[in-house]
Amino acid sequence: MKIRKELWFGLGLMGLILVSIAVFMPWGSLTNGHLGLLMLALIVVAIMLGFPTAFTLMGMGVFFAWLSYNSVNPDLAVRQVLDLMVQRAYSVMSNDVLIAIPLFVFMGYLVERAALIERLFRSLHLALARVPGSLAVATIVTCAIFATATGIVGAVVTLMGLLALPAMLKAGYDVRLSAGAITAGGCLGILIPPSVLLIVYGATAGVSVVQLYAGAFFPGIMLAGLYVGYVIVVAKLKPALAPKLSEEEARVPVPPSLAPLAATSRNAFTGLLAAVGGRSLGVPAGTVFGQLFVSLVPALSIIGLVWVIWIGATKPVEVVDTTGLQVSGFAADTAGTGTGLAEPQGAGTGLAEPPASEAEETTSGTGLAEPPSDQGGVAEPPAARAAATDAAAPETAVEEAPAAAAAERLPAPTWFWVVAAIASAFGVLVYVLWTWQRLEIFKMLLASFFPLSILILAVLGSIVFGLATPTEAAAVGAFGGFVLAAAYRYYGHLREARRGAAVSPTARTLADLWDIIKESSFLTAKTTAMVCWLFVGSSIFAAAFALLGGQDIINRWVLSMDLTPVQFMLLAQGIIFILGWPLEWTEIIVIFMPIFVPLLPHFNIDPLFFGLLVALNLQTAFLSPPVAMAAFYLKGVSPPHVTLNQIFAGMLPFMGIQVIALALLYIFPGIGLWLPQTLYR
Amino acid sequence: MQRFLLTVDKLSTLVGHAFSFLIVLLTLHVSWEVFSRYVLGAPRAWAFDGMIMLYGTLFMMAGAYTLSKNGHVRGDVLYGFFEPRTQATIDLILYFLFFIPGVFALTYAGYFYAAESWAINEHSNITADGPPVYPFKMVIPIAGAFLLLQGLVEIIRCVICLRDGAWPSREEDVEEVDVEKLKEMVHADEAMLDAGAVVRETAR
Repeated sequence: MKIRKELWFGLGLMGLILVSIAVFMPWGSLTNGHLGLLMLALIVVAIMLGFPTAFTLMGMGVFFAWLSYNSVNPDLAVRQVLDLMVQRAYSVMSNDVLIAIPLFVFMGYLVERAALIERLFRSLHLALARVPGSLAVATIVTCAIFATATGIVGAVVTLMGLLALPAMLKAGYDVRLSAGAITAGGCLGILIPPSVLLIVYGATAGVSVVQLYAGAFFPGIMLAGLYVGYVIVVAKLKPALAPKLSEEEARVPVPPSLAPLAATSRNAFTGLLAAVGGRSLGVPAGTVFGQLFVSLVPALSIIGLVWVIWIGATKPVEVVDTTGLQVSGFAADTAGTGTGLAEPQGAGTGLAEPPASEAEETTSGTGLAEPPSDQGGVAEPPAARAAATDAAAPETAVEEAPAAAAAERLPAPTWFWVVAAIASAFGVLVYVLWTWQRLEIFKMLLASFFPLSILILAVLGSIVFGLATPTEAAAVGAFGGFVLAAAYRYYGHLREARRGAAVSPTARTLADLWDIIKESSFLTAKTTAMVCWLFVGSSIFAAAFALLGGQDIINRWVLSMDLTPVQFMLLAQGIIFILGWPLEWTEIIVIFMPIFVPLLPHFNIDPLFFGLLVALNLQTAFLSPPVAMAAFYLKGVSPPHVTLNQIFAGMLPFMGIQVIALALLYIFPGIGLWLPQTLYR
Repeated sequence: MQRFLLTVDKLSTLVGHAFSFLIVLLTLHVSWEVFSRYVLGAPRAWAFDGMIMLYGTLFMMAGAYTLSKNGHVRGDVLYGFFEPRTQATIDLILYFLFFIPGVFALTYAGYFYAAESWAINEHSNITADGPPVYPFKMVIPIAGAFLLLQGLVEIIRCVICLRDGAWPSREEDVEEVDVEKLKEMVHADEAMLDAGAVVRETAR
C-alpha cells in the first residue's frame, strides 16, 4: 500500500506513542495507575484515528471505568459504571457555565448573517488609508472585530478570503503577507473574549469565566496590536510588499447633495454651521441638519463620556457610606456611624461592586481597587483610592475626610480636570480635522464599525464589571445580534426598494430573518451538540482516569522531576503546543487540562494565568502546518495561483509573533492579570 | 437500503431541527429574565431551572442530528488523508468498540435514572417549589435512543462504503462555512455598494 506523504506525520506520531507505551509500561507489574496512563496514551492514538472524539472518549471511559471498578468489586462493577455514566452526563446537562456556549455561538451566527463585514472592511480600509500597509491593517482590524463578535474561524477566514484577498492582490500586496494577515486575524476570535474557548477552559479547570474574560482582554488586544505593528513595519521597510493606495482608491466621494457645500469650504463642520446660518447654497435644510447632527456625534459622545466620569468621580457618596458602615461592621473600633445592617450586605458582595462605582469603572477604566468587603479596617474612602490608582493623582482633601461626613457631591478631583482637558483638546482636534472626506468616512464607520464594537463592548463590559453573568450577557448579546441582523437586512432592502425593487422591504426583511433564525438555530444546535457531547465523553473519561489513579502517578512523576515553576510552565506549554498539531483545541482542553490544572498549586501558578497562556498558545495551533485549519479555509476561496505553501509561509511570521506574545505575557503577567486583579481582588 | 438510511437521517434531522429552536427560546427566556430582574425588579424563581433545562435538552437532542450530518469533531490529522475504504474500516471497528458500548450504556442507565426520578416525583431543589426534574432526566434515554438509531445507520453506511469504495450520500443541511452562500452574501452587498456608487456618479 502506498502511503501518502501527509500521512507520515500522523502515523509517525502514533507509532512514537505506541512504541513508548510498549517500552515504558512496566508490563510485569501493572497497577491501576499504570492503566490510567495507558488509557491517556491510547486516547491520543484513538483520537488520531479520526473517530468522532466524543464517542471515543465515552467508549474508552466506559471500558476503563469498568476495569477500575472490577478490580475492587466485580459484582457491582457494571452497576457502578452505569451510575457513573449517567451522573456524569447529567452533570454536563446541568452545568451552569456551559449554558453560555450555545448563546454565544448563536450570537456569532446571527452577527455573521447580518452581512456587515463588507461595510466594516471598506470603511476601515478608507479610514486607515494613510497608515502604511493600510489594506492589511484594515484586514487585521476587521478580522479582530468580526472574529470577536462571531468566534467562527472558518467563516471569518473564508469571508475575508473572498473580500480582502482580491483587494490586497489587486493593490499589489505580497501574496504571503496578505494570506498571513487574513489567517492570523481570523484566529483572533479564539482568544479575544467573549470566546467559547475560555468558557470551555473555565468549565474544565474550575476558573471563573468572568475573570478569564477580564484577563484575556488585554492579551488579545496586545496580539492584535502586534500583528498590526508587524504589518506597518513591513510596509514601511519594504514598500514593494504592501504598496500605498493610490489617491484615487483612497478618495471617498462626497455625495452630490453636499457637493456645493464641499466646494466652498474645507472643513465640514464650519461649512455646515455656515449653511445653517443661511449660506446653504441650495442644499436642503433637512440634509444640512442631518449632517450636522452626525458631525456632532463625536462631540456628544465626548461630553457624555466626561459627564459619566464626572458622576463617577464626584458621587462616591453612597460608596463612602457603605464603606464606613462595613468597616464599623467588621471592626468595631473604627469610629463609624454604622448600624449592623450593612454588614451582611457587605459580606455578601463577593465579586460584585457597589453600584455607584460602576459608572466610573465602565468609562474611565481606572476602577476601584477592591470590593468593599475586602477593606479590613481601612477607612479610606474609595474616591481617594481611585485617585491613588491614577498615575496623575494628587492628594486631595478627601483623604482626610471621615467617611460618613461626605453627604453631598464631592468636589471633582484634579485628575478629572486633566481628563476633561485632554478630552476637550481631543474634541477640538477632531473638529479642526473634520473635512468632508472624514465626515463621509465617519458616517461609514457609524454604520458598520461602531454598532459591532458597541455590541461587543456592552456584552463584555457587563460581564467583566459584574453587571451580568456570562450567560445573561450572552443571551442579551444574541438578542442584540438579532437586532443588528434585522437592522442591516432592512437597511439593505430599503436601499434596493428605493432603486425600484417590487417587494416591500419589510416583507423581504421578515423573510430574511426567518431564514437567518432558522439557519443560525440549526448551526448552533450542531455546534453546541458537538462541544457538549464532547464534554459528556470527556467527563466520563476523566472520571475513569481519576478512578484508576492516573492523576496520582502523573503528580508524583512531575513532582519527582523537581522542576522549577518556569521549567514546569515551559514543559506544559510545550506539550500543549505539540498536542495542538494532531488535536483540536476542544480536545486538548477537555482531556488535558484536568491533568495539568491539579499540578498548578505545587508550582504556585494561578490557574487563571495558566488559562490565558493556554488560550494564547492554542492560537498557534490554528496557524501551524500541516493541520492549520485557517490555511485550508483560505485556500478554498483564493485564486488558483495562490498556493498552500505561500499561505503557510505567510502564516509563519504571525506564528512567530504569537510566540513573542506568549513570552511577553509570561514575562509580564500584568498584561493579563492586571484587569482581573484590579476588579476582583 | 439507501432509502432506509435517508429516512433515519430525515428523522434525526427533524428532531434536531425541532429542538434547535430551543436556542431561540433560551435567548428570549434569559433576555426576558434580565429585563424582568433589572428593570421590573421581578425575578422569576424558576428562571435558572428553565435555563438549564432548555440548554441541556437542546444539546442532548441535537446529538443524533449532529451525527447524521457528520458534525461531531474528529481528529483530522490522518483521517482526511485516508481512502474511503480505510476510513470505513476504521469507523466500522470503532463504532462497535466505542460508540455502541458507550451510547448503549448511557441510554440504558439513563432510562433507570429517569424512571427512578419519576417514581419519586422528583422536583428541582435549587429553589423552593422547583419545577419537576424527571422530564429533563427523560431526555437522556430519549436522546440516547435516537443516537443509537443514527449510529446504526452510520454503521450500515460504513458497510456500504466498504462494498462500493465510496461514501453513500447524506442529506443536505446548512453548513458553517458554506462558501457559495458566503460568496453570495459578499457579492450581494458589493453589488449594492457598486449600485450606490453608480447612482452617485450619475447624479453628479
